[in-house]
Amino acid sequence: MEKAIVLAASAIGAGLAMIAGVGPGIGQGFAAGKAAEAVGRQPEAKGAITSTMLFGCAVAESTGIYGLVVALILLFANPLIGML
Amino acid sequence: MNGPKIIFTIPLFGGIKVTESIVNMWIIMVVMVIVSIWLTRGLKVRNPSKKQLFIEKLVTMLYDMVRDVMGERYMFFAPYIGTLFLLSILGSLSSLLTLRPYTADLSVILTWTVMTFLIIQINNIKNHGVLGWLKSFTEPVAFITPLNIISEIANPISMTFRHFGNIAAGLVITSLVYGGLASLSGALLSWVPNEFLSSIPILQIGLPAILSIYFDLFTSFLQAYIICMLTMVFVQGSGE
Amino acid sequence: MGEYLQFVSIDTWTMIFTLINFLVLFLLLKKFLFKPINNVLEKRADEIENTYKTVEKTKIEAEDLKTEYEERLKSAKEEADGIIKSAVINAQRRSDDIVNEASEKAQYIVEKSQKQIELDKKNAVNEAQSDIASLAVDIAEKIIGKKLDSKEDEQLVSDIIDRI
Repeated sequence: MEKAIVLAASAIGAGLAMIAGVGPGIGQGFAAGKAAEAVGRQPEAKGAITSTMLFGCAVAESTGIYGLVVALILLFANPLIGML
Repeated sequence: MNGPKIIFTIPLFGGIKVTESIVNMWIIMVVMVIVSIWLTRGLKVRNPSKKQLFIEKLVTMLYDMVRDVMGERYMFFAPYIGTLFLLSILGSLSSLLTLRPYTADLSVILTWTVMTFLIIQINNIKNHGVLGWLKSFTEPVAFITPLNIISEIANPISMTFRHFGNIAAGLVITSLVYGGLASLSGALLSWVPNEFLSSIPILQIGLPAILSIYFDLFTSFLQAYIICMLTMVFVQGSGE
Repeated sequence: MGEYLQFVSIDTWTMIFTLINFLVLFLLLKKFLFKPINNVLEKRADEIENTYKTVEKTKIEAEDLKTEYEERLKSAKEEADGIIKSAVINAQRRSDDIVNEASEKAQYIVEKSQKQIELDKKNAVNEAQSDIASLAVDIAEKIIGKKLDSKEDEQLVSDIIDRI
């Protein structure tokens, strides 16, 4: 019974952790929009803009990835079950 | 969802577990060394062959990248970055060969980032001396020291989780899609009386390739690029 | 068989193996990939540098040679000019000399011939005079019928002729 509660709560927690994906999504969308703007203004710098954008996006993704890792831990390597 | 499979155990020190990640890495390493020996065979100064031009172009690109990001005095660092990049990208791409990508193993990525972390600290000590290195933690004010230490340690951890998270998420989503497609095609073929024919997951053919383009090719390349870029930026920054 | 590690797990042995693998691969790639390529790139850069240097050297040499030849050509031209000029002057002088000589000679010839003519004329006159005188003497003899003492007579006749 306790285990079932912990497992259910972990699953819910994993789902909630993935809400962290919203932030990077918004941020990366913003970055991509700005990059598109920059390419529109300066089409000759497309390569540099794209690589900079990808780099920035990947770094900004960190928070989302933290959420993902928490969700993965809760789902596949749940430390809470061991505490029972 | 399982972690890396334990292929065999060496009965030493209470059992050294050799996992799938390590075995896959050995395979990739052997391939890489053989390919690089093949590529660098018969190099010529004049009239290089197409093969040579290709490998020269790649190596020159790496050197240019290192030179751009780190400057001329860190050129000795290029082989490290190249090794890291090749290991990372080929590890991630090995999922295309149905090997389990060892970059989806936290231990592997953590080793690389801890190595990078140590290099950063050593470079810092080399450039500023032990006192200067210790002092750099107390800047700009002394009481912020714990925060500085945490942010210093957070670097490799965030790098680890970024790389691991991306590849692992790709692995999870790809296997979810494969599982889903398998059960879907099972439902579609349930009317076929032959047991063997109805168990063929026809939907798995072709469809996951689209996902593969993003999760395998794009993410692999991007994460390898990011981890190398961050390594270079951090190492260069520690020498300032 | 069938034993798995956890999905999110940190395994010490995996880390140690990864570290060893990385270092081994680093050394192998350095030996088999980066060093040969680097050598070739460096050699090529050296060769290009050398070629440029040689080209520059050759260019400087060629330019030196060119200026030298130009100078030589210029001096040769000057020399030729000088030679021509002196030749012209010589020729001029020579022709002048020749012309002068010729005209002198001509003058001389003219003078000589004039003198000759005059002499001839004089001789002729003298001859004619003497002829006339003797003729006159003869005539007078015949008229007088007597031979005159030739010397006195002739003198006389000459005087007469002169008076005429």
